[in-house]
Amino acid sequence: MKKIIAIAVGAVLASGAGVALAQSKEAKTLAQDVCSACHGPEGRSISPVFPRLAGQQRGYIIVQLDAFRNHTRGDPNARAYMWGMASQLSDATIKALATYYSEQKPVNGHPGDPALMAEGKKIFTQGIKAQNVPPCESCHGPKAEGAGAFPRLAGQHVDYLIGQLEGFQSGTRSNAPIMQNVVRTMTPEQLKAAATYAASK
Amino acid sequence: MQQGKLKTFIAAIAMAGSGLLLAPGSAQAVPSFARQTGFACEACHTVFPELTPFGRRFKMNGYTIDNLPQVSGITPSKEQTLALNQLPPLSFMLQASYTSTSKALPDGAVAGAEAKNGQVILPQQASLFYAGKIAPNFGAFVQMTYDGVDDAFGWDNTDVRYAQNANDQTLWGISFNNNPTVQDPWNTTPAWQSPFDQKSSVAPAPGAATMLDGSLFDMSTAGLSVYAWFNNSVYAELGGYHSAPHGFGQIDSTVDQPTISGFAPYWRLAYERQWDRKSWEVGAYGMVAKVYPGNGNALQGATDKYSDWAVDSQYQYIGDRDLLTFTGTYIDEKQTLDASFANGDSANPSDDLKTLRINASYFYKRKYGAALGYFSTTGSADAGLYAPNAIDGYANNKPDSKGWTSELDWVPYENTKFALQYTMYNKYNGGDTNYDGAGRNAKDNNTLYLLSWINF
Repeated sequence: MKKIIAIAVGAVLASGAGVALAQSKEAKTLAQDVCSACHGPEGRSISPVFPRLAGQQRGYIIVQLDAFRNHTRGDPNARAYMWGMASQLSDATIKALATYYSEQKPVNGHPGDPALMAEGKKIFTQGIKAQNVPPCESCHGPKAEGAGAFPRLAGQHVDYLIGQLEGFQSGTRSNAPIMQNVVRTMTPEQLKAAATYAASK
Repeated sequence: MQQGKLKTFIAAIAMAGSGLLLAPGSAQAVPSFARQTGFACEACHTVFPELTPFGRRFKMNGYTIDNLPQVSGITPSKEQTLALNQLPPLSFMLQASYTSTSKALPDGAVAGAEAKNGQVILPQQASLFYAGKIAPNFGAFVQMTYDGVDDAFGWDNTDVRYAQNANDQTLWGISFNNNPTVQDPWNTTPAWQSPFDQKSSVAPAPGAATMLDGSLFDMSTAGLSVYAWFNNSVYAELGGYHSAPHGFGQIDSTVDQPTISGFAPYWRLAYERQWDRKSWEVGAYGMVAKVYPGNGNALQGATDKYSDWAVDSQYQYIGDRDLLTFTGTYIDEKQTLDASFANGDSANPSDDLKTLRINASYFYKRKYGAALGYFSTTGSADAGLYAPNAIDGYANNKPDSKGWTSELDWVPYENTKFALQYTMYNKYNGGDTNYDGAGRNAKDNNTLYLLSWINF
């Protein structure tokens, strides 16, 4: 595709602010022409199959795109969609896309079922001591906004978050050893509660 | 099922298992798209050929999204002059089938049909596709098909597109295609209707069909349309079709097949709402054509005018485990038969014909599926158009056919499908008993059809 190649060419030449500016423009075009087909305009997707990227942490997006590209993230949808999508991306394009999406306005979260919210809040702020589960906020932040390689969870699709937690548990998504360890003993109900609360922030 | 038939049937299933069954119709999901994009089939298809919301977007986007190394050329000012996939986007499709009708057709009753029942056809259809990007913003879906029943190679579905994103909210494009609705993104319209897009090509099929359902042109048209997709929800398309007879022999002062006089306008409007894992579309489409009726008549003078308008709706739920789709369309055709009435082919100066189809399908984990559909075509009685004749005639001059289709599917891999389909007629060519005037009943045409369909 034209844009990727243009960006790749740009990447080779990358040095200086002028080029960086050109890249951010190209990243916007690429996001609009290609990524938005699933992730929605400005990263606000509709279907929970596709995560919302608006306001996602730049560091996290870079790590994930690289993991799709080198096949270290292999959950079913990563394989079905992103292995192909990311295969021809250059490092510079990945960074430009990550910058673009991290700068978009995130979607506001909405509270879910009250019982799940209450249980989720406990897990999110206190963890589950008996099962050695640390509080989510210790890495993902008190507002679930994320930091660096730790993703923003606030405003994400609940179904998407549950899918990822299940992936960590079953091992289909194995590029996050910390999370695989965290969810090891969690019950489906606990996963659902944690995801519901985190997404609502 | 009688003992003998059961045995043949089991034999046929065994054959299907060995990977070689086959069938007709339009058709397909193409692996070359998967190779080009790096997406699994499930990105664009619930179960092929039905499209997901992303599949519709991929089609509207001109089949151009790709992730392959490119052969490329640029000018010194970085203008792109070439961007070609390193591998051509070729795919192959093979269908084999087994067909058994409730009552065998008598010898020679219709061309190619003999008294034997339980036909295995291999290949029923074999196709070669070029499907993928041609250049930036420019892609094609082109199908060449060998038809095992006709024993002939022919030009099949063709859709060549240019598409561009105007901004975040608007995508527009141009489609050059050979069959009205082949360019449509939804699976409600005739060219890609699902779930019963494949039917037996050797079993008797009701005679009357509307122009939009393909009764007149059989891909012998050339159409150009402009379309736009706004805000991921509104689709609008406007275009026209012109006759494009195949082969030099057809370009003559008289023709055998119906031929459009001038251009026939085609239009399409649809609204789709996507939320959660669901999408719901409501739309309308139509076409008006003035047609020289063919049958060796001159390409001048009076024409028959067909005015078709149609409404359609599609609901999809695409879960990780459950996939549910409802599709429906209603086509209303008004026929002003100036030419056919004048030369005595029709008994009325004008007729109408209406078709309704409603279908539901369910898939479990994209592997095991079941579908049920109702179909009905009704219209004016016309002793000229609908005359009695053994098997394919109409004893009471009415075009009416109604019935149900059901299907079980097994999709062991995303590119391989086995289908067991049963079509049941309550009414066939205007009647339920002795519909043809030669003693055949509607239910005698009930058809069991087993299809194996492989794309690679």
